[in-house]
Amino acid sequence: MTMSLMMIRRAMLIAFIVALIAVPWIVPALINKFWVSVIAEIMIWSLFAASVNLLFGYVGLLSFGQALYFGFGMYGVAIGISTLGLSFWPAFGLGIIASVAIAFVAGIFAVRLTWHYFAIITVVFSLIFYFFAVSVKAVTGGDDGINFTLPPTFSFGGYTGSFSNETFQYFFIFAAVAFCFFLMHRVIQSPLGKAFVAIRDNDTRAELIGLNVYQLRLIAFVMSGFLAGVSGALFAFFGRYASASYMFYHVSGEAVVWAIVGGAGTLLGPIVGTTLFIVIREVVSTHWEHHSLIVGVMAILVVILAPTGLVGLWNERLARWSAREKVPATRTSLQSEP
Amino acid sequence: MLDTLLLLALNGLIWGLIIALIALGLSIIFGLLDIINIAHGDFFMVGTVLAWFTLNLTGNFWVAFLIVPLIGFILGALVQRIVIQPIRNVAALSIVATFGLSLILQEVVRITFGATPRRILPPIQDTVVLFGINYDVYRIFAAFVALVALAGFFLFLHRTKLGTWMRAVRHDRDTAIAMGVPAQHVYIFTFGIGFALAALGGVVAAPITTVEFRTGVDILPFCFMAVIIGGLGNLPGTAAAAVLLAVLEGIIQSFADPTVARISSLVLMSAVLLLRPQGLFKGLAK
Repeated sequence: MTMSLMMIRRAMLIAFIVALIAVPWIVPALINKFWVSVIAEIMIWSLFAASVNLLFGYVGLLSFGQALYFGFGMYGVAIGISTLGLSFWPAFGLGIIASVAIAFVAGIFAVRLTWHYFAIITVVFSLIFYFFAVSVKAVTGGDDGINFTLPPTFSFGGYTGSFSNETFQYFFIFAAVAFCFFLMHRVIQSPLGKAFVAIRDNDTRAELIGLNVYQLRLIAFVMSGFLAGVSGALFAFFGRYASASYMFYHVSGEAVVWAIVGGAGTLLGPIVGTTLFIVIREVVSTHWEHHSLIVGVMAILVVILAPTGLVGLWNERLARWSAREKVPATRTSLQSEP
Repeated sequence: MLDTLLLLALNGLIWGLIIALIALGLSIIFGLLDIINIAHGDFFMVGTVLAWFTLNLTGNFWVAFLIVPLIGFILGALVQRIVIQPIRNVAALSIVATFGLSLILQEVVRITFGATPRRILPPIQDTVVLFGINYDVYRIFAAFVALVALAGFFLFLHRTKLGTWMRAVRHDRDTAIAMGVPAQHVYIFTFGIGFALAALGGVVAAPITTVEFRTGVDILPFCFMAVIIGGLGNLPGTAAAAVLLAVLEGIIQSFADPTVARISSLVLMSAVLLLRPQGLFKGLAK
């Protein structure tokens, strides 16, 4: 890895964060206010795609049932506020705890399996709870869902904010998502993250060097449930709404597509993939109701033309460019870069 | 009470035979190409829609039984050549690609056929008295067609050269290629057959269910259940599991909510996955 490559990456990351912070002021001036909330939504779904990526990109387990943990985060908040009458933070906490708890229970069984069987059992678990949520209408509102009004204010230290203020809402989502991505980055850089990658690359070898593969997979599974749960809780706050339809397997499938198209095994891949698809949806759907057609074609084109995803392709280009400019860069070290 | 039970069990049996057709396609595509085909439910849906178009263009439903599987075969072969072939070595990508394919099929149907669900009247309107209930003759006919197609498929697999090739490539691809089996063509053919079976299932089921662009999404989990409970790649097991599951759901539906029935078969499936990942019918695998 040459210095310049690292500097380019760092500069781009800083520019990206600065741009996101500037969004509530720049975007209304350049386009319109609506796009601020689209960008907030993209951040939430990016976090959801990141939960797929943590499992698939770093541990090698393809989960097709992340919507379950998203749904628990969502319902934790909605039921906490509308039924139990909780205030903001307890409801947020309830959503996260609920999704982590169900991820732990599901993970105990699911990580005993790998590859196809793992993909299928995760989707089965999520379907069980989807049908359950649809049938217990009294609690979940079924497909119609629960609408709720947010507690008017919440305080953090001496500061009091309200979600009805769009700028506040944007920054709250930004802070929560950025914090989760930071956590994920730290985990991936840590010895735990190296152990994850070792399992992804060769689980037999990982076992032989003394790693407890089952336990590590379970840890990753619960972490990924946490990420999905936070995104679900945020989405409930964002939409003031929770619905069983968000627990259906199509929602999980979209996150898998976003993560893989963006680039599995890269920190920013899920953000790129999610942004691409949601921007297409928002731009095209106002003119043409069949935007899913474009999404389908794009998904196929990307996996054919860029099997490592868009960020993977970009990293390869950057490495090749840098190798031409300077000393040969090692392509093998790309794997763990953001 | 017993009447409803029998009726629902019989409905389940017939539905199970139709599902068996679809799930077989899913299973051979999986066994041979190692692809989890998310679009498979939509292959079925395309079959129901093509049946509707055939009926409206020719005024004759029976034609659909011939034409639609043929169109399905051609579509399947094209899909394999254009979408699946380029990503054959990376199974994880196949999930994304077939998910994209599923969206494309659904949208194309929504554009051409529209979003409103439609119904097709059964071409046979008579009823017969079975166990004291008036039962649609068409449903019995549907079961018969499904049975014939299933038998035909297994005969094809075991009695023809192409079928032997398919089994050979599934068993050991490299050796099969070394022995001169044109694996590339076998893949294309397999995908075509998979699509054709699902499309035939669609034609048979069209007068029993509604015709709309979303039916595939509902049917896909059920087909996966049959494939898993029967054992991945175990074709007779898959067919048996489809029938077993549908009858079971039918019986549970006679005293409980349909979602309860669905949840119980999902729980059964989880247990099978965890305790007997090779499927319930290992003895049937050849």
